[in-house]
Amino acid sequence: MSTNPVSTGPLLEIENLEVGFRAGKDLLTAVDGASLTIYPGQTIAIVGESGSGKSTLAHAVIGLLPGNGQITGGAIKFEGTDISHANRSQIMALRGSSIGLVPQDPMSNLNPLWRVGTQIKEALVANGVATGSAADKRVVELLEEAGLPDAERRARQYPHEFSGGMRQRALIAMGLAARPKLLIADEPTSALDVTVQKQILDHLDTLTESLGVAVMLITHDLGLAAERADHLVVMYRGKIVESGPAREILQRPEHPYTKRLVAKAPSLTSQRLSSVAAARAEVREQAVQTAAEIAAEVAHSATVLGEGVDDILVVDNLTKVFTLRGARPWQKVDFAAVEDVSFRLRRGTTMAIVGESGSGKSTVARMVLDLLPPTAGRIEFDGHDLRDLKTKAERLKLRRQMQPVFQNPYASLDPLYSIYQSIEEPLRTHDVGTKKEREAKVRDLLDKVSLPTTVMGRYPGELSGGQRQRVAIARALALDPEVVICDEAVSALDVLVQAQILELLNDLQAELGLSYLFITHDLAVVRQIADDVLVMQDGKVVEAASVSQVFDNPSQDYTRRLLDAIPGASIQLGL
Amino acid sequence: MWWYVGKRLLQAIPVFLGATLILFILLKLRPGDPILNLAGNKPVSQEVRDALAAQYHLDDPLFVQWFQFVKSAITFDFGETFAGQPVFDLIKETFPVTVTLAVMALSIDAILGITLGTIAGLRRNGWFDSSMLVISLAMLAIPIFVLGFVMQLIFGVKLGWTSPTVGSDWTIGDLILPAIVLAIANFAYTIRLTRTSVAENLSADHVRTARAKGLSERMVVRRHVLRNSLVPVVTYIGINLGSLMAGAIITETIFNIPGVGNAAYTAIFKGETSTVVAIVTFMVMVYVLMSLLVDLVYAVLDPRIRYA
Repeated sequence: MSTNPVSTGPLLEIENLEVGFRAGKDLLTAVDGASLTIYPGQTIAIVGESGSGKSTLAHAVIGLLPGNGQITGGAIKFEGTDISHANRSQIMALRGSSIGLVPQDPMSNLNPLWRVGTQIKEALVANGVATGSAADKRVVELLEEAGLPDAERRARQYPHEFSGGMRQRALIAMGLAARPKLLIADEPTSALDVTVQKQILDHLDTLTESLGVAVMLITHDLGLAAERADHLVVMYRGKIVESGPAREILQRPEHPYTKRLVAKAPSLTSQRLSSVAAARAEVREQAVQTAAEIAAEVAHSATVLGEGVDDILVVDNLTKVFTLRGARPWQKVDFAAVEDVSFRLRRGTTMAIVGESGSGKSTVARMVLDLLPPTAGRIEFDGHDLRDLKTKAERLKLRRQMQPVFQNPYASLDPLYSIYQSIEEPLRTHDVGTKKEREAKVRDLLDKVSLPTTVMGRYPGELSGGQRQRVAIARALALDPEVVICDEAVSALDVLVQAQILELLNDLQAELGLSYLFITHDLAVVRQIADDVLVMQDGKVVEAASVSQVFDNPSQDYTRRLLDAIPGASIQLGL
Repeated sequence: MWWYVGKRLLQAIPVFLGATLILFILLKLRPGDPILNLAGNKPVSQEVRDALAAQYHLDDPLFVQWFQFVKSAITFDFGETFAGQPVFDLIKETFPVTVTLAVMALSIDAILGITLGTIAGLRRNGWFDSSMLVISLAMLAIPIFVLGFVMQLIFGVKLGWTSPTVGSDWTIGDLILPAIVLAIANFAYTIRLTRTSVAENLSADHVRTARAKGLSERMVVRRHVLRNSLVPVVTYIGINLGSLMAGAIITETIFNIPGVGNAAYTAIFKGETSTVVAIVTFMVMVYVLMSLLVDLVYAVLDPRIRYA
């Protein structure tokens, strides 16, 4: 390795890289002939969905492939030297000092048993930057540099005393501790709230720019990638399908996958006012009409609960106070998770509740679902106060008409239940129909969510995330509910899958006259699905208005900050 | 934390009452006549029988006997054995050898178990790991009384490396063989537990981050894999100290060690209800204290755990 690399030469050159994972006797290719070049100080972004091989590519560069992964072809040249088959000590010499890593999940990437300062100090000592008390001083400087206030005290704390954003700052300080020439940032902010994400990325930008560090940013969010990097690399099924200047790719995508990505990324489509708004208006019109018909029917039948009023769900001054343990064992502290929240959900429309983690939005959902008793306030479903439902039979009736879809399709389906059993279970619980009728109903539901009936005998583990969420939706629709409560129902999904699920929800609304309570932290998806928006912060409603008002004319600072934080919002697509 | 310790100590009271009551009931169900045992299995006249029964409260209803026991136990008066020795003195005399034996067994268990388990975990599915699996399964499968007699025969009688029995003038050296026998069953579990914990931690995200920092493999294992893996293992071993003391009955009888277990065995044989109850209750209390200690050590190892 030359001690004085030519500054104009590339820092990292990846040539036809192939990485495979050994599974039994088979070798599964994860990266298939990838080539890219990074020059000193340059920021490039690798964009792709989960399973596209983008993280595997990054781990190959820093020699951190898991045990069954191996480089099967091609070369990785760092400052002109091929490191694809370097031995352990050579790679170790590069790690930290030449190539740094900021990992994906700040919650699991710090060792819970060591103080944060100690973990950063390790990096300094291991790379021979500083030792002893000099290293301790440097740790505080690094944490300050990463934008952590009160760094001296923070360095002595443990990871569990940090919030997600603070942990990510500590990991950035760690990644940059030994001043590497290349920083690999693997989805550094996907686990954080949008406003925190923006702060962290802004800070990372300034920091790497002032230090002249090249950055390899890995993300699934096209908007974010385009905003942060000058050069984009799009990966799809292990192959690099497109690469070039960011703006150019966004405006003239060539590969069909990139085209779909540009068309569907919610952070980008949220700007395309006209088309989205028109499509949404059409859905609503149809849904409201269907809902009115259903309501009329309901009002005349005695089997279902309800009177057929216009506002299917009315929430008045809803408050939830949790009593927490205080500093002393006998002390109690009251914590208001939800304070004085009121809204009305009109039949056949969608109300979005938007807020960051801890804003109380999910607590509202749980109270509406009658899973958590409110401290004060009133919830009225179709003209009936929930508190008046005393008997078990009445409660069952309510449950039939309000069904939830949760965030994580991996956790909300029982892995030991076949898809058929999962969807049939609510029908059995409520004693609906005979066995034959129930099976017909399941087939019908699968058809509604565009899944083939062949999945009935399969198990959740055999389905993709998007398919599982379709199953969860089918299960929620099994009892013909009037209201579906979607708690972050699309947050765990890849952008393209997310777009498909949102489309499905829209179609079902139009067809069945459903009303949605849509809870999300992501303002970008709101435009595609909601009619009214409730913005929550610290348990209180800060803004309640129609979608167009919120997006075009936000009246509150907080809402404006949330909108600004949508990555890619500033990019002109020229469409 | 003191609040927590206080709460835990208060919990020991219902444990004490429950344990003694269960013991009284169990010993009542035991076949045999305590008075006959007391008299050395010779026929006794009715007067003597009545006098003895009155002296040891044997003719009272079970609950009254239990109540009497609890009442005097509050003042550390556990009554006397049939031989006339105060039970409290008996425990004081026999306790040291049992503790020594338990601590020795625990050390063997911890040092060997953690070392072998770590190596197996680091080289998962290698030949070392596989042979450790077979060996630990074998150790788990052989009952302690078989192993005890076999080891006694081989090392004590045939090879003569150590004395086959211990006796009242015991030394640390005499206890090595019994300690190994006592350690073996727990030791197999420790290997399995350490191995699984190490293997699991090896693939943790923060270990990958530690590698990415440029730490050497040795440092990664020592600082980020081992310490994290030891949290469940230390908990297991700590709770074992209690059960090692209680479980020493078989080993102490085989090697004729004058410990608490042996004393309990003798008392059970003779049907000395109050002596048995006192010894076993004492062990229960040791167990309760040990698990409290383990929970406190747990908080030292893992800063996320705070007691209030």
